[in-house]
Amino acid sequence: MQHCPYTTMNIPGNTVVTSGTDVSVFERQQARMKWQQQQQEGLFNGNDHQFRGLVEVKPDPGLQYGWPDFSDGCQGQAIPSLMEDHNLKKRKAHEDQKQKVVLKENSVKEKKIKGCSEENSAETSSKEKPKAVEGPKQEYIHVRARRGQATDSHSLAERVRREKISERMKYLQDLVPGCNKITGKAGMLDEIINYVQSLQKQVEFLSMKLATLQPRLDFDIDSLIMKEMFEVPAVAYSAEVANSAYFQVNSLLEMGNNPIDAMLRRSIGGPVSIPETFVVSSCFNQMQPGVTWDGDLHNLYRMEIQQESSTIPFQPHKFTGLYEGSNLKMEL
Amino acid sequence: MDVLERKKKIKLCADIALASAKNATTSWSIALISEAKKNDENEILVDNLLGPESRFKQQKIIRQMNSCHKRVRSKKILKKSCSISQRMKKMGPPKSNLAAYIAKRLVKKRTQVLQRLVPGGESMDEFSLIKEALDYILSLRVQVDVMRNLANATEVLNQSNSSNVFD
Repeated sequence: MQHCPYTTMNIPGNTVVTSGTDVSVFERQQARMKWQQQQQEGLFNGNDHQFRGLVEVKPDPGLQYGWPDFSDGCQGQAIPSLMEDHNLKKRKAHEDQKQKVVLKENSVKEKKIKGCSEENSAETSSKEKPKAVEGPKQEYIHVRARRGQATDSHSLAERVRREKISERMKYLQDLVPGCNKITGKAGMLDEIINYVQSLQKQVEFLSMKLATLQPRLDFDIDSLIMKEMFEVPAVAYSAEVANSAYFQVNSLLEMGNNPIDAMLRRSIGGPVSIPETFVVSSCFNQMQPGVTWDGDLHNLYRMEIQQESSTIPFQPHKFTGLYEGSNLKMEL
Repeated sequence: MDVLERKKKIKLCADIALASAKNATTSWSIALISEAKKNDENEILVDNLLGPESRFKQQKIIRQMNSCHKRVRSKKILKKSCSISQRMKKMGPPKSNLAAYIAKRLVKKRTQVLQRLVPGGESMDEFSLIKEALDYILSLRVQVDVMRNLANATEVLNQSNSSNVFD
């Protein structure tokens, strides 16, 4: 066949990409790498943008990506440089076919994806709703069927769903202490349930403790801290710690708005390192319910120093949210 | 006011502080506030704590959530009836792959329990439930730490006060 420059390779020139099993090894591998990269990119951009990121990247397939794992895909074929040219040309020739296939897959899966996007738009807040409403028009999940797997739309959508859930499970593994060894979904869920229950019980216990400590409900934090600052130096130490705790709570709440992003950005360091150490110290705390003050002080003090070096904006309005929670002025 | 009532009030305020810090970005926070409001005696307190500006936003969001609740609930009823009728028809396939069947059952039960734990979890599918649970765990942790520090601070303060009195 004259029009196919790649007849020298073991790939028939007129492959129509309708099912995954017909796709060549290189295409499959490249698609897999691309899918992984897109997933990562999508996750880095946040969940709202996940699908949009996929849509944007899709139009330029082979031109952007290098061929890092070439040795895997070669399997004793021609020289790499030759392959590159051939594959680039093949990519361009196949783009049209691919687009058609993608569209076909999309039309079949549209219902399922629209279901997903509906749920997504329902769960996001009113601020994000306009974005999510525009989203469904573009939200097509481009999935490649892998070798040896079923290719109908149901299983593809299911696989996408399963992958999403397993990603989330990984984040939960990092959050919940002691979950590194458990791999199954059921076991993970079990741990999560136990952790949430224990946290809720701790809240109950602490609120009871606060109730017994304060004879009246008039709970003025300002005077508490001010008094501590001006009186005994040992107490002032704890006041600083309490202050720093509130500051960190602030920053943690800011982080907490995007917990997934925060966890992803952990490696970047800087102000994000604080929630990590905070989390570490809080894990520590939970293991010793009758906590010794000294250990906490050291951790929190270290974090306070870290925090001073990094510049985290202090948002007073969130702070007052916490204040209001503890300023119980009840008229009896 | 006795201790138990005080404790309830404290817990309520802590929950509301937790949920309002999220500023209505997650559905569990909305659900928490709406649950707190359902109790008549707490409603006034909640409104006072949150402030008048938030009231309109909250009402809008609650209305939206109710509509989506109804939709999800009707979907679930439909699914259940379909699955029951299907189950009546075929009894063979579940027993062939027993391990997977049992595993699925376990996961289902546990997701149900988790739905009960996370506020507003009944009207969520599995995927968003996990995301909400993640967020909820983070915030709960923060809450626990703040309360613990607060309790310790008041303890120390009380001790110093009592020692000052004796001096």
